[in-house]
Amino acid sequence: MDQPQPPHRVRVTAPRSAARATGASFPVAREMAEQSEVGELFVASLIRSQLRLAVVVAGGFLVILISIPVLLAVFPDINGVRIATVPVPWLLLGLGIYPLVIGSAVLYVRSATRNERRFQDLVDDD
Amino acid sequence: MTETGTGLDVDPAVGYAALVVVILSTVLIGVYGLRVSRTTDDFYVASRTVRPWWNASAIGGEYLSAASFLGIAGLILVSGVDALWFPIGYTAGYLMLLLFVAAPLRRSGAYTVPDFAQSRLDSLLVRRVTSVLVIVVGWLYIVPQLHGAALTVRITTGLPSWVGPVAVVVVVYLSVLTGGMRSITFVQAFQYWLKLTALAVPVVFILLRLGADGSPVTGGGSAFTTELDTSADASLYGTISLVIALLFGTLGLPHVLVRFYTNPDGASARRTTLIVLGLLSVFYLLPTVYGILGRIHTPELAASGMSDATVLLLPGRIIDGTTGDLLSALVTAGAFAAFLSTTSGLVVSLAGVISQEFFHGSVTGFRRAALLSALVPLGFALLTDSTALAGSVGSVFAFTASTICPLLLLGIWWRGLTDAGAVAGMLTGAVLCGGAITATAVLGPGRGNGLDWLAQPALWSVPAAFATMVLVSRATARRRPASASRVLARLHTPEQR
Repeated sequence: MDQPQPPHRVRVTAPRSAARATGASFPVAREMAEQSEVGELFVASLIRSQLRLAVVVAGGFLVILISIPVLLAVFPDINGVRIATVPVPWLLLGLGIYPLVIGSAVLYVRSATRNERRFQDLVDDD
Repeated sequence: MTETGTGLDVDPAVGYAALVVVILSTVLIGVYGLRVSRTTDDFYVASRTVRPWWNASAIGGEYLSAASFLGIAGLILVSGVDALWFPIGYTAGYLMLLLFVAAPLRRSGAYTVPDFAQSRLDSLLVRRVTSVLVIVVGWLYIVPQLHGAALTVRITTGLPSWVGPVAVVVVVYLSVLTGGMRSITFVQAFQYWLKLTALAVPVVFILLRLGADGSPVTGGGSAFTTELDTSADASLYGTISLVIALLFGTLGLPHVLVRFYTNPDGASARRTTLIVLGLLSVFYLLPTVYGILGRIHTPELAASGMSDATVLLLPGRIIDGTTGDLLSALVTAGAFAAFLSTTSGLVVSLAGVISQEFFHGSVTGFRRAALLSALVPLGFALLTDSTALAGSVGSVFAFTASTICPLLLLGIWWRGLTDAGAVAGMLTGAVLCGGAITATAVLGPGRGNGLDWLAQPALWSVPAAFATMVLVSRATARRRPASASRVLARLHTPEQR
C-alpha cells in the first residue's frame, strides 16, 4: 500500500474481474436468441422448462406447508399427541420442515442444472 | 426510549466486555479488508470473486438479524407454537429465492433491484419508483435492528437506550467507509459463525447443567402448554398470510439481492443459496430451544413485555458464577453482531442505490450515501418505541412481498411485462400493504383476531399487486420493450462451460 502508483495497480488487479464483468461470457446464448429462429425456440423452451420446474417444486412445498395449519385446525386432537413429552405440532414446525426445505432445494438445483446442460448440448450440436 | 437500567441480573462489566470485543473485531476485519479492497469493483461487489462458502456465510451473517437472534425466542415465550412459523418463513424464503430468482438475477448483471428494473424494462420511471421502494424497505428494516441494539445495551450495561443504536450506526458507518463490499463480506461471514457459536455454546452448557441437576429439560412437557401463552392464538388466516409474506418477502430484500451479485456466475449463485439454506436451518434450531427453555425458566419476561430479552438473560438465569457471566457475554456479543451485520448489509445496499441514483456512483458518493442511509433510520429509531422485534420485521416482509417481489418474478419469467404494468403493480402493492400496516399501527395492538386481515395483509395485497401488474401490462402491450426476448434469454441461458 505504500507505493502510490494507481494506474499500475488497477491494471494489475482488474483484468481477471473485469473480464467477468463485461457480458462476454454469454456469446452463444446471445447470438442464438438474436440471430436465429431455432435459437429463439431453444431459449424459449429452456425458460419454459425452468419455470415449470420451479413452479412444481414451490407448489409441492407450499401445499405440504399450508396443509399443516389446515390439518391442525380441522383435527385439533393432533395437538394432544406427544412424542417424548414434545407435542407433535412443535416437532413438525420446529424440526420437521427444515429437511423438507433442503430436500426441495437439492432436487431443484439438480434438475435445473440438468435442464441447462441439455440446452447447452442442443446448442453445441446445432 | 429514555428508560434506563432495569436492574436485571447481568453484570454491566460483562456487557461492556462483549460489546468492545465485537466492535473491535469488526473494525479489525474491516481494516484488513481495506487492504485487499483496491478497485471500485472491489468496493461495490468484491469484484465478484467471493467463493460460495464465504458468500453463503456472509449471506447468513447478514440475514440473521435482531428478529432472528432475539425476536424468535421472545415470540415463542409469548405465543408458543405459532411463533415457529417465523423461522420457517425466514428459511423457506431462501427456497423461493433459489427457485425463482438466484441464478437469473445473477446473470442479469444488475447490482441493485433498480438496475435490474431499468435494464429489463428500459424505463427510467420504473427505475425511480423501484429505487424509492427499495430505500423505504431498507430504512424500515434497519429500524428494528436499532431497537434491538437499544434493548440489548440497556439490559446488559444499564446505559441509556440511545447508546445502542448510536454505537451500531457509528461502527457500521466506519466499516462501510473503510472497506466497502469486500471487507463487509469478511466481516459478515465472521459474524454468522459468531452468532451460531454465541447461541450454541450456552445451549450446550445449559442442557448439561439441567441434565446434571436432573431437572427435566421441557418441564415434563409443561413448557408446551398453551396456558403459558400471553397472546391470543393465531388464526388460520393469520398464519397463512404470515407465511406468504415471509416466503415472498425475502425475494425483494435489498441486502439479500446485492449479495448474489458477488457470485461469479449463475450456477454458483445456486450453490451459494443451497449452502445458505443449510446454515439457516441449523441456526434456527437454537433460538427455538431458547424460547422453549425460556417458557420454564424466564416466564415473567412475557408478562413484563421484555420477552425479546429471553436469549440475553437465560444463560445467567440457569448458570451462576463466572461461567454464567461468560456465557451471558457470549450471547450479548452474538446479539450485537446480529445488529451490526444486518445493519451494515442494509446500509451498503441502500448506499449503492442512493449513490447511483443521486451521486453518479462514485466512491465518494457511496460514502455520502452510506451516511444518509444510516442516519435516517437512526433518527426514526430514537423517536419511536420498540415493539416485538419479530412482528415488526414481519411487516417489512409483507411490504416487499407486495411491491418488489412481483416486479422480480414477472420481470424474470414473463416477457409480457411493461413499464406501465410494473409501476402500477408496485404502487398498488405499496398503497394496499402500507395502508394496512399503518392502519393497524393507528388502531393499536389491543385487537382480537377480527382485524387479522388488516394486521397480516400479505394474503390479499400480494395477489392484488401481481394481478394489477399483469392486467396493466396486458392493456399496455404496445409498450413492451423490444429487448425483452434478448434480456430473458440472457437471464436464463447458462454461462460458457
